[in-house]
Amino acid sequence: MTAPPTRTPAGVGSGVGSGSGVGTHSGAPTVRTTSGPVRGDGTTTRSRAARRWRRVGWVVALLALLGVVALILALVTSPGSKLPLAPDSTQPRGAKALAQVLEAQGVDVHYTRDADEAAQLAGPGTTLLVVPGLTWDSLDDDQLRALAATRADVALVAPDDATLAAFVPELDDAYGYDPLGAGPSCDDPDARAAGTVSDQGGGYVASGSSSDRTVTLCFPVDTADVGSYAVVQGATRVAVYDDARLFTNRDVAQAGNAALALRMLGRHHDLVWLLPDDRAQASGDAGPAAASVLPTWCWALLGWSLVVVLVLALWRGRRLGPLVPEDLPVVVRAAETTRGRARLYRAGRTRGHAAAGLRARTAQRLATRLGLPRGTEPVGLVTAVARATGRPAPDVHDLLYGPPPTTDDALLALARRLDDLESEVHP
Amino acid sequence: MVVTWRAVVLAAVLGIPVAVAADTAMTLLAVGVLVLVAVVDIALAASPRAVTLERVLPTSVRLTGTATSRLTLVNGSRRRLRGVVRDAWVPSAGAADTRHPVSVAPGDGTRLATTLTPTRRGDRLAGPVTIRSVGPLGVAGRQASIPLAGRLRVLPEFASRKHLPSRLARLRELDGRAAVQVRGEGTEFDSLRDYVVGDDVRSIDWRATARRSAVVVRTWRPERDRRVLVVLDTSRSSAARVGDQPRLDAGIEATLLLSALAAHAGDRVEVVAFDRTQRARVRGASGTRLLPAVAEALAPVAPVLVEADWTALAATVHGALSQRAFVVLVTAIDPAVVSAGLMPVLGGLAARHQVLVAAVSDPELAALGADLATGDDAYDAAAAARTDLERTAVAGLLRRTGAEVVEALPDDLAPRVADTYIALKAAGRL
Repeated sequence: MTAPPTRTPAGVGSGVGSGSGVGTHSGAPTVRTTSGPVRGDGTTTRSRAARRWRRVGWVVALLALLGVVALILALVTSPGSKLPLAPDSTQPRGAKALAQVLEAQGVDVHYTRDADEAAQLAGPGTTLLVVPGLTWDSLDDDQLRALAATRADVALVAPDDATLAAFVPELDDAYGYDPLGAGPSCDDPDARAAGTVSDQGGGYVASGSSSDRTVTLCFPVDTADVGSYAVVQGATRVAVYDDARLFTNRDVAQAGNAALALRMLGRHHDLVWLLPDDRAQASGDAGPAAASVLPTWCWALLGWSLVVVLVLALWRGRRLGPLVPEDLPVVVRAAETTRGRARLYRAGRTRGHAAAGLRARTAQRLATRLGLPRGTEPVGLVTAVARATGRPAPDVHDLLYGPPPTTDDALLALARRLDDLESEVHP
Repeated sequence: MVVTWRAVVLAAVLGIPVAVAADTAMTLLAVGVLVLVAVVDIALAASPRAVTLERVLPTSVRLTGTATSRLTLVNGSRRRLRGVVRDAWVPSAGAADTRHPVSVAPGDGTRLATTLTPTRRGDRLAGPVTIRSVGPLGVAGRQASIPLAGRLRVLPEFASRKHLPSRLARLRELDGRAAVQVRGEGTEFDSLRDYVVGDDVRSIDWRATARRSAVVVRTWRPERDRRVLVVLDTSRSSAARVGDQPRLDAGIEATLLLSALAAHAGDRVEVVAFDRTQRARVRGASGTRLLPAVAEALAPVAPVLVEADWTALAATVHGALSQRAFVVLVTAIDPAVVSAGLMPVLGGLAARHQVLVAAVSDPELAALGADLATGDDAYDAAAAARTDLERTAVAGLLRRTGAEVVEALPDDLAPRVADTYIALKAAGRL
């Protein structure tokens, strides 16, 4: 606290006495507040910064901790997609294990999600692997035609109907359910090398469409002419397997899965691994359109409006000083207990009790008005009231001392008649 | 740090180059300009903590009256202080306009007046003074809330003072000044004077007449210098709302009217506010100083949510009064509370003093069930009747101990208590 400056304007100190006693009780003189002149709130820039740090420091520390943890997690966990059957996915349903073994064996894996790119990459002397996308029919007819036209060897795993028809019209889906598990039962060297595979049924059957390609079915399901694994050998070789789990990280090591998968994909030095991107097809219609309709300045203005809104929020959000709290008086009404009692009467439908209360009060008021002494017998009261009102005594007696009402309407009628009776007796 | 509407306008205007250029560099440049202008403006604003503040208040104001809070501020910084100053008050202080735009040169000062129209009795406290100082561009500035103690004591309204002239007239009728000068109960010997035609022959003092050769009569006047003790119950039953104010406020009105009346009648008045301990006490004040003292003492008294300790109260009363006195207990007739607390001690009090129990009744209770329209109203009426019976019974029990009981609506309590006082005085029962 410093002393007030000496350049106090004239009148500030001397004129404070004027205007006093406005509505005061006894012309009370004005007084200064007990604290006297005050300068500043006793804080410095440093103390305010320290206080702010105490207040929000833990939030900042928590955010920093979260950031560090997130950073560590990001460094520790290997990057990679989480898509099923992606060659860079370490998830149980991914296929990184297979891809890594293939690369270790000298196969170049070209992973792509774009069917057109795959069609360009694939060619004679390469293997094209088409794995199912996330949705049904993730490749359209044009793309399938382009892919089938590449003269690459093809490996299909759990293909959908369109894919199967595009690559190997010689085969049809067979809905077998009971793998015989008796080995390959065919002459294909890959199948014989694998020996046995884990299989859940399904399989393929020769469709009988005319073709100059030879169809070999292995790992029979139900009967000998249905096979989980099919090889169609013509100018190019197409190998089809009906279960996508053949390639997954979780199942590739079971039975002869790895042998079959590696031999399917490792025939050539180059492997094109196509995992169709469903979104590319879906958003192909709307995506670029929305962005190109609006001119770029519009986007810039939209972004800038966020800044303007932020400044607006700062302007409107800062209060001119804190709210001043006040202790308020009790708001419960004095009649609340009586209201509660009325609700109890009502809830219990205690008409007799209610009627007794009404009658007792009327009797008391009438006795007071008629000047009857305390403890007057009912008979005396009835006689006095009957005389004062001119009503027949039995009526008055029935009103004041009759049987309790049995319905709400009767209670209401009684209350009204008691009111009438009271109004007829004047003190 | 604060920004003003001008900062918003500036940001909006900067949107034009951003939209024209439509690239990241221009956006960053615009943000930079915005921040730079704000920082420069803040740096050039006067420091709100270099301002010397002083608040001058009237000691007290009566409820429904108006007071002025005068805030003096002297700009101690080397820059001009522009901006807004808020003289904050609690809501019930009824501050009309707490925000004052200011522009004060360095070293100069200004005075700001805030009009207060309090809506509640008691001590109304001032909040901190907030100074928002903006820079010369008016885009951004600094703000600080400086704690500055302030208290405005709001005295009871004393609306019942309108009943005072009529009661004083009746008091004068009792007194000799209005030519009613007969001997009766409640009078005491005043003086001797010569007989004039028309005087009551019964008031001739024969002993004095024998000593002098002229006929001498005695004159009489109402008893004076009686002690009146008003006990204001501030326990939980006084906190309940009757009408739109706590029950206590109606009791304070009655206390003020009775004090004013008794002070004019020449009685010595003492006031105690009590629940478990003594909350306020006025003693030794008389004449014109009494009423301000009572109003001042009762202004900050608030109901306390505890049960009243009537035993301790009776001890206080016995300690305060050595001779017979008129003791007014301003309380509520709550059957459960009275039978447990007040009833046991009232007999002892009434034996030594003239006791008046003044209670505020609830207008809502009379209205409850007065309109018998549906079956539910009948139950309301029954509950009200039952409450009424219980209160009447308790009042009867209180009367049987020898105490007077006055039960009235909030607005009627003060005149009814005053009337009872005058009636007791006329009957010589004080």
